[in-house]
Amino acid sequence: MIEVEKLSKIYGSAAAIQDVSFSVEAGEIMGFLGPNGAGKTTTMRILAGYLPATTGTAKVAGFEVHADSIKARQKIGYLPETPPLYPEMTIEGFLAFVAKIKGVSAGDRSTRINYALDKCNLTERRNVLIRKLSKGFRQRVGIAQAIVHDPPVIILDEPTVGLDPKQIIDVRELIKGLAGDHTVILSTHILPEVSAVCDRVTIIKQGQIVATNKPENLLTGLAKGTSYEIEVDADSDRVREVLSGLQHLSQIEALSVLNDRPRFRITAETSHDIGRNIATALVNSGIPPYEMRRTQASLEDVFLELTTEERSSDKAIDETTLPTPESNPLEASIDDENQEAQL
Amino acid sequence: MKIIWANVLAIYSRELQSYFVTPWGYLIAGIFWSVSGFFFSVLYYNLMGQSVQMGSDPNLPPIDFAYELIRTFLRVLGQVSMFILPILSMNLYTEERKRGTLELLATSPITNWAVALAKLSAAVTFFFTMLLPILAYQIFALNGANPAIPLEPLLWGYFGLLLLASAILSLGMFISSLTESTIVAAIGTFGLVLLLSLIDTISNSTTGLVTDVISHISLLKHYENLVQGVVDTSSMVAFGSYILLGIFLTAQSVEAFRFQRS
Repeated sequence: MIEVEKLSKIYGSAAAIQDVSFSVEAGEIMGFLGPNGAGKTTTMRILAGYLPATTGTAKVAGFEVHADSIKARQKIGYLPETPPLYPEMTIEGFLAFVAKIKGVSAGDRSTRINYALDKCNLTERRNVLIRKLSKGFRQRVGIAQAIVHDPPVIILDEPTVGLDPKQIIDVRELIKGLAGDHTVILSTHILPEVSAVCDRVTIIKQGQIVATNKPENLLTGLAKGTSYEIEVDADSDRVREVLSGLQHLSQIEALSVLNDRPRFRITAETSHDIGRNIATALVNSGIPPYEMRRTQASLEDVFLELTTEERSSDKAIDETTLPTPESNPLEASIDDENQEAQL
Repeated sequence: MKIIWANVLAIYSRELQSYFVTPWGYLIAGIFWSVSGFFFSVLYYNLMGQSVQMGSDPNLPPIDFAYELIRTFLRVLGQVSMFILPILSMNLYTEERKRGTLELLATSPITNWAVALAKLSAAVTFFFTMLLPILAYQIFALNGANPAIPLEPLLWGYFGLLLLASAILSLGMFISSLTESTIVAAIGTFGLVLLLSLIDTISNSTTGLVTDVISHISLLKHYENLVQGVVDTSSMVAFGSYILLGIFLTAQSVEAFRFQRS
């Protein structure tokens, strides 16, 4: 439904995005994740037909967004970072206006407006002036204007920015409700948003795509194996002596001391669960743990892994030196993508 | 093409509605009516005084008092309008840019020139509605004139005023598309109005080839022709060119703005 190939946008000598390529299948919700200034909004604007790309192509529902701009725009519902609203209009009046300029026929207009109002829980406030709405409701009106003409593709740029937690949950539920009927691409720098809403995530850094995959695959792919945090009454040397013989052990790392009890993080090799072996070894050695818990990489870890300068350069070395998918999560994710494409 | 005209109509309606749902439109209309009403009264009583003086001297030829009043008032109305029009045009694009609604329009299936055309048409319509009460009281006040009011010059004069307003609004719209500041847009358009006045002054004060050229581009000169009842194609072409130039520049400016966005 969305096909982006080698898209670049150059301002003077600076590239806002460079060789960005990805695709989004029909009915899918794709998260476009990246730190501020990574090029998310530029990409969204190019897809929406607002900005022309310097090079590359972007197709939405089969239409090239720049060359076939008018047709592509009819297929797109777009919510910019700041919802584009006319404060002096009522919600219903505004949606009627948007429906008209998006080409909804007079016969369908009323049905479509009611659908958008209903979907965004705005029916009761349909006659309220937009200037009297809270930020959360304005955001809903922004989403309603993006869906009022029943576009196959919806582009949402930072849809939950500036909302309170309750409003964020409401808007996320609303977006999830759009999946299936619509293809949604949303940009965000809020990590939980991706796991809460998106089927797939594309991570962008400094204008370049660094990974594309399902959130769970990214977690699996980039996690350096399962870790266990333990709190014991023994020093570092003793712990290392007891555990060093365990199979599939990858690393033992001393953590900060809590309540005068040393704490350690023990990492297993990928795909190996050695929790029971650790517990047995500690108990048999006379140092039963006060606490032991399994920790897994979060999306935050993945995000930092992929977008932090220092770690990324390490990753670049990994990519060139580690050829196997298991040891190279980026390749693993690309392979997964290829397999998905083949399927 | 059908969808484009439907969109022009939708934007025109929204734009026109925005003048009537905010106090701003009524304030502008109120000021315009007060100032023009004041000048109408002053001119009326001045000409009335002159008429009485001239009536007492049998050697002077008779004058058509009502016709003179209409012509003089239309000239003054043109001057007053030139101060009001920058206020009408200053918000046309600045507000869209400030609210981010330009992004909505630019990502809708409608071209930049169609948006500009719709906005200009709405502003001209609002100005036209501002003229209606003035035209009405003028007809009412001069209803008993003998000979009767010459309707044709009156209507050509008002048509000329509409064309003058359309041209200034069109250029003002272009200036408003260049900035997010309404003040800058108003000052810029007012500067343009002063330039037009200057062009008119130059075309009136000197002679020669350059002056001929300048008089052809002087909007006020063409307006004056219509007020005098002189309707010629060059005036229509001049007004039409200014209007189209404003729409064209606005469309280009919005396009350029999109290219510049970071």
